[in-house]
Amino acid sequence: MTDQPRRLRLLRIAIVLALVFNLMALLALVRATPIIFTLFMFLAQPLFAAALVLLVGAVLAEPRARQIL
Amino acid sequence: MSGLLPLAGALLASGATAATDPGVPLPQGWIGTTSQWIQGFGVAFVVLNVILLLLAWRRLRAADAPSNMWGWLLVTLGLVPIMVAFMTFAHGLENTTTVSACGSCHVMTPFVQDLRDVKSDTLAATHFKNRFIRESQCYTCHSDYGLGGTLKAKLAGLGHVWRYTTGLYEVPIKIAQPYPNFRCLGCHGESQKFLNSPTMKPMLPELMSGQTPCLTCHGPAHPVQKKEARR
Repeated sequence: MTDQPRRLRLLRIAIVLALVFNLMALLALVRATPIIFTLFMFLAQPLFAAALVLLVGAVLAEPRARQIL
Repeated sequence: MSGLLPLAGALLASGATAATDPGVPLPQGWIGTTSQWIQGFGVAFVVLNVILLLLAWRRLRAADAPSNMWGWLLVTLGLVPIMVAFMTFAHGLENTTTVSACGSCHVMTPFVQDLRDVKSDTLAATHFKNRFIRESQCYTCHSDYGLGGTLKAKLAGLGHVWRYTTGLYEVPIKIAQPYPNFRCLGCHGESQKFLNSPTMKPMLPELMSGQTPCLTCHGPAHPVQKKEARR
């Protein structure tokens, strides 16, 4: 279980990325100018995708640590 | 969650008020537009997601192992953000077609000012002030019809954003390609007033084929830009 802190760190990074994604989404919802919407499409959404990848990574790390996978 | 619904309601109500001209009565039972509802729900989902993320952060700090939180994290980092992304995408796609969205880049200011000038008699201003086109007037005239037209317009818009933010444009700005007749004919082409007009009737084949541009007689659609227009 030595990689437990690493897993927690991954999840924390994912939460921060998701928070940034939400703030950019809020900006695009309140004031949808072309520039803000472009930023949402090409910056915020990849951040959310990265958060999802980190979550999947953290989920998969557990069975790997138990040598199930 | 119960506290979020009044917030969404208040946002919808304020959006509806802002979107309506003062003095123009709304139909009885007006509940806002689809875009305003999507915006309201989008904001509510963002608030919900931020609260859930902060709670997840707190629980992660307290917990030694995240093993018992996977369901919670899947909702917080997966399902709710997907809803936020969907709502924001739908609202943004719709809202970036408005005149105020086009006017948010300063190079468009002279065009938008002319549109809103009730004394202007340019083709674009005439269409705008008489509401020949009800909403999204810039987008309606500057995009082709159908799904292909939307995709093409959005891709072109992406190019505009790139050139605007990097300064890779020249003033006075010009239309990229000659204005095609089919954009005019999409509305006028089946109008009986147009089809039976004694002036238009003999020219119909030329207009329909695009051989004679509509703007030859009806242009320029916008005021001629001053050379000193600043970047």
